[in-house]
Amino acid sequence: MADFQTSTQRAKWVFTPQKLAERYKAANQRAVQLLEKCGTTQVEVDASGSLTYPTENARDQAADKKLKPLSVDEERFMRAFYEAKVQEVCSAFEFPHKIQATALQYFKRFYLQWSVMQHHPKEIMLTCVYAACKIEENHVSAEEIGKGIKQDHHIILKYEMAVLQSLEFDLIVFAPYRAMEGFVSNMEEFLQARDDEIQKLESLLKAATAEADKIMLTDAPLLFPPGQLALAALRIANGVLGVVDFDRYLESIVSQPNSEHTTSHLSNLLDDIESLVKNYKYPSEKDMKHINRKLKSCLGHSSSHDESKKREKRSKHKSHRSSSDAPPNGPPAG
Amino acid sequence: MAEMEQPKKVADRYLKQEVLGQGTYGVVFKATDTKTGETVAIKKIRIGKHKEGVNITALREIKMLKELKHPHIILLIDAFPHKQNLHLVFEFMETDLEGVIRDSNVFLSPADVKSYLLMTLKGLAYCHEKRVLHRDMKPNNLLIGPDGQLKLADFGLARIFGSPDRKFTHQVFARWYRAPELLFGAKQYGAAVDVWAAGCIFAELLLRRPFLQGNSDIDQLSKIFAAFGTPKADQWPDMKNLPDYVEYQFVPAPSLRSLFPTVSEDALDLLSKMFTYDPKARISIKQALEHRYFTFAPSPTDPAKLPKPVRKQETKASYGKHEAIKGISPPRKIRRVMPEHGRPDGMKSHVDKDQQAPMSLDFTVLAERPPNRPTITSADRSHLKRKLDLDFQ
Ligand SMILES: Nc1ncnc2c1ncn2[C@@H]1O[C@H](COP(=O)(O)OP(=O)(O)O)[C@@H](O)[C@H]1O
Ligand SMILES: [Mg+2]
Repeated sequence: MADFQTSTQRAKWVFTPQKLAERYKAANQRAVQLLEKCGTTQVEVDASGSLTYPTENARDQAADKKLKPLSVDEERFMRAFYEAKVQEVCSAFEFPHKIQATALQYFKRFYLQWSVMQHHPKEIMLTCVYAACKIEENHVSAEEIGKGIKQDHHIILKYEMAVLQSLEFDLIVFAPYRAMEGFVSNMEEFLQARDDEIQKLESLLKAATAEADKIMLTDAPLLFPPGQLALAALRIANGVLGVVDFDRYLESIVSQPNSEHTTSHLSNLLDDIESLVKNYKYPSEKDMKHINRKLKSCLGHSSSHDESKKREKRSKHKSHRSSSDAPPNGPPAG
Repeated sequence: MAEMEQPKKVADRYLKQEVLGQGTYGVVFKATDTKTGETVAIKKIRIGKHKEGVNITALREIKMLKELKHPHIILLIDAFPHKQNLHLVFEFMETDLEGVIRDSNVFLSPADVKSYLLMTLKGLAYCHEKRVLHRDMKPNNLLIGPDGQLKLADFGLARIFGSPDRKFTHQVFARWYRAPELLFGAKQYGAAVDVWAAGCIFAELLLRRPFLQGNSDIDQLSKIFAAFGTPKADQWPDMKNLPDYVEYQFVPAPSLRSLFPTVSEDALDLLSKMFTYDPKARISIKQALEHRYFTFAPSPTDPAKLPKPVRKQETKASYGKHEAIKGISPPRKIRRVMPEHGRPDGMKSHVDKDQQAPMSLDFTVLAERPPNRPTITSADRSHLKRKLDLDFQ
């Protein structure tokens, strides 16, 4: 698909920083309320996508254990930890960057609707990788993924529908990698590059790819269109390699017909992306220890999802989520 | 909490009616959306517990149709799971092109044929512009709405064709619509496969029967060669390098005129260009739409006035929504160049938390050319021995 401008991503999945913060806060709040009312936060899922929420009588079982919910920042850490795992899993399988980016976007979008306290991020992470492979036509069976990393693939299959539904079935994702290749070949023209410069551009692309991987771990993919992420990655890489006069390059693309934007505006946007990368925080071991313990108690079990241990059904109340109770953006197929 | 997330869209929103068709992976039934009063078609796909999870064909269809919005592409209204089934809700279509072609009570004038082909090509041109190959073009997948508008449906085999070196399966299309390069096992192919199939549909509209009815892949090639002559190396230089290429006994081409005795010169010329052997030389959909067949008389029939087969349980159709195509203008070009007009000026500071990053500044247009580097098609996972520590311990 080659049209970001008319895409669902553009229409529904790029947010203002404020809106994004609200979404994270709201997801956290929903879990906090569940915990208060029911003493647990875990939402059960089955393969057909139906969800079972905890009910208030679950409370008794949880007794009077004072359970503390994760804060918004702790949730962020938890996501950061598992987003890094997405990259680890994808590189272990040597999947192309595109798949990794798609999986990360899926993961990020999923946790706009849910708190990590409601669905364990490890399971969602694996499901996102599986779904990304499928959608990017690089099919790997759930079993194969499970085997490769010694995880139970039934969990992947169990969560698939719930994940797809939380994504509102908007499955095509635009990543910066393709855009970067486009920019680099455009730079070849811009520089009227000779052989040695073409070589340098190749290494620029390589370095920028690594930068884009870092950008993908921040909130930037939910805040900026892929072309801007691509330019930011290229600019960061170019800052080290000095292959092109980047300001002049930006000028050259901004001064295309009909563009009302100034180079400095674009440059400021790239600054914003860069600062997201600079301020990116990955949890320390100590942070994780603490958060992980809290998460486990909120989810109401001590070993992170042991499928063999049949947990008792917390409720018979089934609820089918639909796209209309998810983000307040446009009609599902609009 | 749970109360806040009450089901709003369970299947009982839709009043189920009769079955419309049996697809390869699910049944399609007619329904009324009680919320809007509109008639819809719902494709129901069993979720099942099989190893591959959610049906890939259904996912392809959803992912494509979520992004493709065009008067000649079927509208996907919603997708949701319900009771072990994935439901895809489409706008309701009255019939399909196969029904039109097969109905001996329907008379198709040259202007009618032109209108049907025009709508087909417009829908296809839009797909190709978005780099989507349909890969299952046939009359049965071209649905016709109550207003006479034809729409491409069944995107279960559709694929994005961004990277030129990606390998695809050649097992696509119903055999009669399969391009010769596919029959020779080509794994790298492009939009030209849809053009060939569209040519077959054009021919079928003119002949009122499938044009090249092979009963095996080999027989299909024989039928093609019997119609257009065995291709010679200079006609199609790459042919000999195709995986399943075998030499066929030479048969000369009869004149195309002898196969289509009553059609206009323009139609014949366009047909010959859509049936060009070498996919590189085959006319593109965009060029086909600019062909004089579409600009010269007769002008295509207004879709609302096109003849349709009469269905038994025909209900009074609700007209409207999509305006009828008038004239023969080529499809509207989707602007690839990104800048948008009418943005509020006085650019706010980029730190403004409430401002969205302007997507007009995306410049993906520069990125939309095919990459010149190979992409990995399928990962070699044999090296994968390492256990990843996925939990925090
Ligand atoms: N929107 C629709 N309106 C009316 N009938 C439809 C619609 N979509 C599908 N059908 C009917 O269902 C049949 C199967 O649908 P299709 O999308 O072609 O699935 P398959 O991939 O299984 O062929 C079609 O041939 C048609 O008769
Ligand atoms: Mg079909």
